[in-house]
Amino acid sequence: MSDFSLMGLKAPTVIFGAALLLLALALPPWFGSYHHYLASLALINIIMAVGLNILTGNAGQISLCNSSFMAIGAYATTYLSVKLGLSYWLALPLGGVISAISGFFLGFPALRLRGFYLAVVTLGFLEVSQILIEQLPGITGGVRGISSPRPALFGHTLSSDLSFYYVILAITLATIWCAYSLLRSPTGRAFEAIRSSEAAAQTLAVPLAQTKLAAFVISAFFAGIGGGLFASLVGFIDPLEFGVWTSVRHVVFIVVGGLGSITGSVVGAIVLTVLPEVLRAFKEYQEFVFGGLLLVVLILLPHGLVGLGPAIRARLTQSDATSVAAAQRGVAE
Amino acid sequence: MSFFSIDNMSVIFGGLRAVSNVSLALGEGEIHGVIGPNGAGKTSLINAVSGLVPMAGGTIHLDGKPLQALPPHRRAAAGIGRTFQHAEIFPDQSVIANVMTGGFAHRQSSLLQDFLGTPGKAAAERQARREAEQMLDAFGLLSFCDALAGDLPFGTLKKIDLARALVGKPRVLMLDEPTSGMNDTEAQEVIAACRRIAGELRVTLLVIEHNMRVIMGLANMIHVLDHGEKIADGTPAEIQRNPLVIEAYLGHGSAAHA
Repeated sequence: MSDFSLMGLKAPTVIFGAALLLLALALPPWFGSYHHYLASLALINIIMAVGLNILTGNAGQISLCNSSFMAIGAYATTYLSVKLGLSYWLALPLGGVISAISGFFLGFPALRLRGFYLAVVTLGFLEVSQILIEQLPGITGGVRGISSPRPALFGHTLSSDLSFYYVILAITLATIWCAYSLLRSPTGRAFEAIRSSEAAAQTLAVPLAQTKLAAFVISAFFAGIGGGLFASLVGFIDPLEFGVWTSVRHVVFIVVGGLGSITGSVVGAIVLTVLPEVLRAFKEYQEFVFGGLLLVVLILLPHGLVGLGPAIRARLTQSDATSVAAAQRGVAE
Repeated sequence: MSFFSIDNMSVIFGGLRAVSNVSLALGEGEIHGVIGPNGAGKTSLINAVSGLVPMAGGTIHLDGKPLQALPPHRRAAAGIGRTFQHAEIFPDQSVIANVMTGGFAHRQSSLLQDFLGTPGKAAAERQARREAEQMLDAFGLLSFCDALAGDLPFGTLKKIDLARALVGKPRVLMLDEPTSGMNDTEAQEVIAACRRIAGELRVTLLVIEHNMRVIMGLANMIHVLDHGEKIADGTPAEIQRNPLVIEAYLGHGSAAHA
């Protein structure tokens, strides 16, 4: 086994991440606008998955309303930049903050509820946010939706999908950096502690309420930023984009990728954004094949796609061990 | 007033008085044992001190300050540490992450620094890791640093639980059967390490222990619980001669033969 590590990351993770980053930087200019759009969508999904994974995978709080925080970020960013004339680069973080504040309020029921009960409350939050979007047409455009133009950077509108892709890539990298730092910090360890054992966590001076609220706030902030970017990428948003199916997809990203793992969030979001496009070849069987693949992954890899690495390594070392044993038998004979 | 005292504590579960008007007082740096048959209320007593179960009555004072009204995490931050009978280790985390969690009360970085990954946070993190490594080293567990805690045997988890609690620099540390799941040699090693570290850090220890040899050799003073009530206290030598204690352990009528 190699002892190489960079900032506490294992060698395979570093090599995988570096390769992925290189591809993300170098490949796009060789592709067309549709692929830039798809890649941007994958990056936004990474932001959504990373945020949700901190809340669910690390802090152990189930949420089925990640899409609502995405909506809050999307509508807030659009409203602030289009209607109030704020710079997009100010509106986007503000959208994240407004989403984070909503996350703080949703966190309160979570202080008393766990598991399925919490899931039901988050579904309620999703319904309420859907109704609010429809009932506040002055802000949201109601059921008819609202258009959300591309921002300008240094006086130059990011109208090409390629230029906006690089902006989203930079923000995605910042998101991963923040999540990485968070998980290797007292706050991140507090998240893990309350998920594993609330009793032990409290006796180690970890405050349950503040820690849960922090997890909701951080996760909602990421979702809000992702939503703000999503609005400008797509150019037009309506309530249907932020329904329960979108939330469920975010949950599927992290479960298939790997709960509690940033690499898992990244892999899950990329694979499950690209896969439906690849499966278009199957035409009407597309959803059937997609669902089947999900089932296979979950049955074969209970730790998600990130579990694949250790599983392969274990298989390799096992075959090493058997070949060594075979060799020794050979000597003995 | 004593450094750490529990006065007239009661814990009631439904109709059961798990702890009934128990008082005990420890001087700073002392090691006290709590013994008693199964169901005597030992774990309920320290759960109530930690704040994990509500008290029906009584007070807890540490260095003159009342703790009974504080939530569990504030009691821990005030200096009440503990270990668990079943170790309560975080199984999906590495050993070092488990122990570093124990230093939460002394964290040197804010939530915002943790989020942004500032250089100050990175430095605080390195320092926390060093302290956790030193503590693991003291229990001979340094080589398990990066192992997943859930993969380790129970005896090792008990030591990790102890290291995790000590990294929090508690002023009073309550140990719930620290040597269960260990053989005699291992138990003696853990107790020796525990006594040494407690001495260096001036930690006051309250130890629940079933292994009589361990507790008689370790404690300055022993409190005996039976059916939630304190039936005796005294030095180990006094306790070994006390007929009430012998009766509680061996049953009625045995005292005459003992």
